[in-house]
Amino acid sequence: MTGSMPAELLTLAQLLLNGLALGAAYALVALGFVLVLNATGAVNFAQGDMVMLGGYAAVALGRVLPVSGLMLLPLVMGAMAGFGLLFSVLAWRPFRHRPPIFGLLATVALGLTLQEAMNALEGAAPQAGPALLGVGEIRLGPLGLSRASLGILFACLVLGLAQGWLLTRTQFGRRLRASAQDPVTARALGIPVDRLIAASFMLATALAGAVGLLLSGPYFVTPTSGNDLILRAYIAATIGGWGSLRGAVAGAMLIALFESVVAGYASSVVATAALYGAVLLLLMLRPAGLFPAPLGRRA
Amino acid sequence: MIRPAPLAGLAVMLWLVAVLAFGSGYEQRLMALAAASALMAIGYQLVFGQAGALSLAQGACFAIGAYTAGILGRLGWPLWAELPAAVLVPAALAGLAHLPVRRLEGHFFALATLGFAVLVRLVAVDAQSLTGGANGLAGIPTFGRGPAAMLVGWGVVGAAAALALWLKRGGNGPALALVRGDAELARASGLDPERIRARGFGLAAGFAGAGGALQAHVLGLVSPDVAEFSVMVGCLAMVVIGGRGSVAGAVVGALLIGHLPEWLRPLGASYRVAYGIGLFACLLLAPAGLIGSLERFWRRRDAPVAALAAMSPSGASLRIEAVEKSYGGIAVLRGVTLEIRPGEIVGLIGPNGSGKTTLINLISGLDRPDGGTIGLGDRRLERLPPDRIALAGVARSFQSPAPPDGMAALDLVAAALAAKRGCAGFGSAADLATLQAQAAGLLQQAPSPDIARALALDPAILLLDEPAAGLDAGERQQLALLLRILADAGRGLLVVEHDMAFLMGLVDRVAVLLDGRIALVGTPDQVRADPAVRAAYLGTAPC
Repeated sequence: MTGSMPAELLTLAQLLLNGLALGAAYALVALGFVLVLNATGAVNFAQGDMVMLGGYAAVALGRVLPVSGLMLLPLVMGAMAGFGLLFSVLAWRPFRHRPPIFGLLATVALGLTLQEAMNALEGAAPQAGPALLGVGEIRLGPLGLSRASLGILFACLVLGLAQGWLLTRTQFGRRLRASAQDPVTARALGIPVDRLIAASFMLATALAGAVGLLLSGPYFVTPTSGNDLILRAYIAATIGGWGSLRGAVAGAMLIALFESVVAGYASSVVATAALYGAVLLLLMLRPAGLFPAPLGRRA
Repeated sequence: MIRPAPLAGLAVMLWLVAVLAFGSGYEQRLMALAAASALMAIGYQLVFGQAGALSLAQGACFAIGAYTAGILGRLGWPLWAELPAAVLVPAALAGLAHLPVRRLEGHFFALATLGFAVLVRLVAVDAQSLTGGANGLAGIPTFGRGPAAMLVGWGVVGAAAALALWLKRGGNGPALALVRGDAELARASGLDPERIRARGFGLAAGFAGAGGALQAHVLGLVSPDVAEFSVMVGCLAMVVIGGRGSVAGAVVGALLIGHLPEWLRPLGASYRVAYGIGLFACLLLAPAGLIGSLERFWRRRDAPVAALAAMSPSGASLRIEAVEKSYGGIAVLRGVTLEIRPGEIVGLIGPNGSGKTTLINLISGLDRPDGGTIGLGDRRLERLPPDRIALAGVARSFQSPAPPDGMAALDLVAAALAAKRGCAGFGSAADLATLQAQAAGLLQQAPSPDIARALALDPAILLLDEPAAGLDAGERQQLALLLRILADAGRGLLVVEHDMAFLMGLVDRVAVLLDGRIALVGTPDQVRADPAVRAAYLGTAPC
């Protein structure tokens, strides 16, 4: 049956699968970005550099512990959550009473510091992290599915669902969303808003760390590899409707599918150009994003 | 007393002379490169520091300027033709890129400009035939040895700094502060933030283009590194460290960042870590930047108070006819018709949620009616943007008026005065001292800075949304007196107020808004006596 599938369709299916895996990774980065955005109202420009840091954490741990990436995942996430706490103390607490632009600039400065620190420690050459579930392809009829892509897809699905459960089904998640929506009222109700904001940073950084580990295997990690990711998270959050978690996931998926399909048929340069062209067009036609919040935007 | 900005300018000049006289060729070349950065930073100071738009395209405009100079220079264009081209090409491209995204604010604008920057970088790296791709462009004619390059570079910086200071002089200062502080309030004060930001963006691109061209001629080559995002981050760092609101700050920032690798040379390759930490420390400890922090130690002089010049309201009536508005299928206003004549005070009452503030928003243009017409004299207003309505002679106050963060009431009123004179933004300007003296006079009279701001527009019609909120009895009396004087001078007033005793004693007529329609217009006595109004709104309480 599948053997008669036209070659073009087959190519498209492979491209879509790769796009899906990449989109899942983008989605986790964008989720963390929007979590912090909602909690603090500030753009975290260092979210991409957190992914980079997570990648290097995975590389370093992989040197000491020769186990699979899956075993390292909780370690990396835990370490990164701790770093997220430190980051919130530096990048958010001192700037919370100032205009949001200062928070953004502070994250730019800290992101730059991280990049340069990793550059000084590890050099600019790409490094490979541990593979999540081995390397190579799984044949499924005529389709060759890369283990790395499947692993990313699977891990992101689990983490994304866990995140959804945490936010909607637990008391912690309800408090988090309440303090994001209206910090003043939340504070008046006795919700420890400041601690929840720190928790948002920890969660966002842990997610970024997980993505860092997942991507460090197949795509390598360099000190500047976070730059492209933050741009995509930024775009995903914008086209998804500023502040919407579901919108950010949808936006990330759209970006990745668009990129991998266009890159597959044309080139990655054309894909990037087309992506930003499309984003400019979208901002022009629908300034509040594809899925605007019903009561207008938050920005 | 000399202020910090001229003092910094003097220090920079002394430094330049010292390097010119005693510096090595290498140091002079470094200075010439810092001049290129300074041009970019001066421009960025206009769009980011003055107009308040977080553009992330300044580095890209610098790159466009560098490539324009490189390409034309290799074609043999003379400098006098090529330099203007290197200014105009990025300005024109930025203008084009800005057109579709001009309505975007804040982060959305930042993202759009970032998209522009990514596209520029792609062209720099991948359009081999035009930009030389990864190899860049070599063999660009240079200015010659260190001193010559330095003199040309800093000559251009001096001219650019003078131009930038000229662009934001006088009344433009407070007007720009209002635009970056609160766009909506700026619109209601007769300023057009979109146009002002667009101008700032285009101007900034031109300055950056000049900087890029200068760098190309100092180095003799253009490499695609010039389009990397790190150039933009460097520019941001210069302006933040120097002081985002100051031309001198931008120059000082460019000099510091330009020399950082030199000063931190003992740290080796990791000097850039210190650069990141330094930027962060500056944000933490001196958020206003070096010049901004110094300026805080200089106290501002008290402005003299000018006697109020006789203003001349046009004496036209405001006619509202069959105005409708619904939000998400819920009709708030279902055909409101009302006239406000010059010289009278009309009170607008109605239960909470009856659409009083909505009506004021529609008249002042913050929102558009779904149907009906609004006219001032012969002029139709319902399709005009808020700034045009404010300049046409309909001003409003807000329910919870607060000047934007860190903005003095004096500047708020001066901004509206500048807007009224049609010289606010970049370029033509009114004398700041005159504006401030007038503003001080208005502030003395008005009960709140926001009402003073509305009065600064010399409106034929004044819309006041709960002006008595938060005032004590004495202040209310004073307010009533002021409103009467304003009406006697030929202005028409529409006052929304919850304090019935205050309102009924003040107004000539009262309009009652019930269920989205004007249920009744009459004298206070007629309205008090109307049984329907009593039942629906006043209840049975005596008033």
